[in-house]
Amino acid sequence: MILGSARVEDLAAERPRLAGFGAGPVRLPGAEVLQAMFEMPVSAREAVVPPGLHPTNPALCVILAWRCPESPWGPFALAQVRAQARSGLRPRGFVTGAVCDNRDAADALAADFGFPARAGEVLLRRAYDAAWLEVARGGQTILALEGLDPEPLLPADVHYSVTLNLADTPRGVRLVQVEPEYEITRAERLRPRLLSFHPEAWGDRHLDPYHPVSASVVSATLTLPPVRFVCRPDVLAFEGTEKV
Amino acid sequence: MKFGIFFEMSVPRPFTDGIEKRVFDHALAQARLADQLGFDWVWAVEHHFLEEYSHCSAPELVLTAVAMQTERIRVGHGAVVCVPEMNHPIRVAERAATLDILSNGRLELGTARSSTWTELGGFGANPDDTKKAWDEYVRALPQLFAHGHTRWQGRAFRMPERNVLPKPIQQPHPPLWVTVTSPGTELDAADRGIGCLGVAAASYGEQERRTREYHRRIQSCNPVSSAVNDQVTTLNFLYCHEDAKEAARTGMRMVGMFGLANSHLLWTREAFPTRAYQSLANLAPTGTGGGNPADPFGVPDGICVGDPKRITEAIRRWEAIGVDGINFILNGMETIPQAEVLASLRLFAREVLPHFEKDAPARAASGVRGGGPA
Repeated sequence: MILGSARVEDLAAERPRLAGFGAGPVRLPGAEVLQAMFEMPVSAREAVVPPGLHPTNPALCVILAWRCPESPWGPFALAQVRAQARSGLRPRGFVTGAVCDNRDAADALAADFGFPARAGEVLLRRAYDAAWLEVARGGQTILALEGLDPEPLLPADVHYSVTLNLADTPRGVRLVQVEPEYEITRAERLRPRLLSFHPEAWGDRHLDPYHPVSASVVSATLTLPPVRFVCRPDVLAFEGTEKV
Repeated sequence: MKFGIFFEMSVPRPFTDGIEKRVFDHALAQARLADQLGFDWVWAVEHHFLEEYSHCSAPELVLTAVAMQTERIRVGHGAVVCVPEMNHPIRVAERAATLDILSNGRLELGTARSSTWTELGGFGANPDDTKKAWDEYVRALPQLFAHGHTRWQGRAFRMPERNVLPKPIQQPHPPLWVTVTSPGTELDAADRGIGCLGVAAASYGEQERRTREYHRRIQSCNPVSSAVNDQVTTLNFLYCHEDAKEAARTGMRMVGMFGLANSHLLWTREAFPTRAYQSLANLAPTGTGGGNPADPFGVPDGICVGDPKRITEAIRRWEAIGVDGINFILNGMETIPQAEVLASLRLFAREVLPHFEKDAPARAASGVRGGGPA
C-alpha cells in the first residue's frame, strides 16, 4: 500500500486552530460549486499527503470552489486545493490550501471546521458556455482556470469526496473530517483548462496539476454538518480515527 | 454448482526483484492443482496500471500458459476490456479463437469495459463511450467468429469484408460473459443472452435479487448469438482450514487486504462525472473485511473462509439462490504462503466438493444452449 510521506510538522506549521467540535450545521443556500480535477505526476503522489492517508494512483489534484451568496457571515467565495486520498477504505480530499474572500467567513470556516482559509480574492463565474475561477492573494493571481463546453449531468452524477482539514484541535493536531452535503439542482460537466497555478501558494511545492481530467459546475444548497470524526495524521485510519 | 479460481495477480509492495514472477508462478501452480482437483474454471482479469491490486494486463498469455499446463479445466477471460483504445475487436476475436484452439475448446470469453479512471485515463478512453463500445463488441464478436467473410459498420469500429482468422473450436463460438460490477449490468447480460460473471462480492440478498431478475429476463432475451449462455457466477474468497479459528485468522486477513487494495482504486466516477458510471466502488461490505457478530470468528455471511463445514453451508446457500458457479480469489495481495493456499485447495476438494458432485456430469460441458464443440 502506498502511504503519504509529507512531514506532519511541516504541514501543521501554519494550520488553523479549531475552537471546538460543536459548530454547525451551517446552511449555504443558492451556492455555485466548481470542481476541477487534474492528474499530478508520481513525484507528487506520496509527497503531498500525511502518513495517515493513502494517495490515489494516479495522484489527483482537485480544485474546489464554492460561491455562497448567503451565509451566517455574509456572501463569500472559498477556493480549496485538495489531494485526493484514502483514509482507510474511504475516499477523502486532503486540503492543502484555501482562500476565502470574506474575512469573517474565513475565520469561522477555520475555527469551526478547520479550513486553512486565508484572505484573498476568489472570483467564480458561470455562463452558459463556460465557467471561470480566478484566485488572487496580495495582487498576484495564484490560480486561474476555465471550464469549457458544458454538458448537462444529473445531480447524482457528480461526486464530492469528504474533506479532511489539518488543524490544531482540542485533541491535538488532527485531520478534521468535514462532510458537506450537496443538494444539487443543476449540474454540468466541463472540459478544464488550467491557466495559472502557483503550488507554494496552495501549501505544497509538490503540487503539479499537469494533466486535465474533468470539471463540473453545479447549483446547490450546501450544508456543513457538525464535525463527527477526526483522524490522527500520522497513523492509518483504522487506528487513528476518533469520534468526537 | 461449478467452481472456479480467479486470478487478479496482485503484487504487494515492495516490488522486489522476482516478485512478479513468483506471483505468476504461484498462480500457474494453483491452476494446475485446480485442474487435477476437479475445478471447472480458471479466470484471469485484464487490468492495467493498477499497482499492487492487479498486474494481470495480458490475461490471454496467462491463460495460454494455463491451457498448456492443464488438461480439462476451462480457461476464462475475466474479462477482455471492450474499449477500442485498449483492444480492437478484431484482435479480441483473433486472440480468443487462437486460445480456444490452443486449449482445445476450453475458452470462456468474458467481456468488460473497465471501471477505473487509472485505466481509462491511461489509454485516453472516454468514459462516456465505454458502455456503447462494449455493446457493439458483444454484437460484433459472434459475427467475427462466424465462418466466412464478414463486414462491420459501427461506431466503435468499421471493417470492410474480411475473413477473421482463425476460427474457434467451440461453435458457434466460446461462451460469452460480461463482468458485473455496476447494478443493472446483470440486466444487460440477460437482454443479450450472455452469462453474468460476477466480479464484485455481493451479499446473499443482493445476489438473490440480481440472479432472480437475470433468470426472469433472459427467458425473453434478444440474444447476440444463437448460443445463449444463461449462467450466473459470483465472486468469493476461499480459505479452507480444518481449524475454523485459524481459517478465519488467515482468510480474513486476505479478505481485508484485498478489500483495502480494492478501495484504493481510483474509480471513474470519482474523477470523471458521468452518467455511464454510477458505482463508486465494487466491493460490498462483505468483501471489505467487515466483521459479522453472528459468526464466532467474525467472518461475513457468504464468504468462503472457514472450516469445510462452514464453507459447505455457505455454498449451499449460494446454490439455493440460483447461482450457477462460484469463482474464488485464493490469495489476494499474496497474504497467504503458497503451501497453505494449495493445502486449502486440497482440503476444499476433499471435504467440500463431494457435496456438490451431483453436478459433476454437467461440469464438463459449458452452460451454453445451442453451442458446443464443432
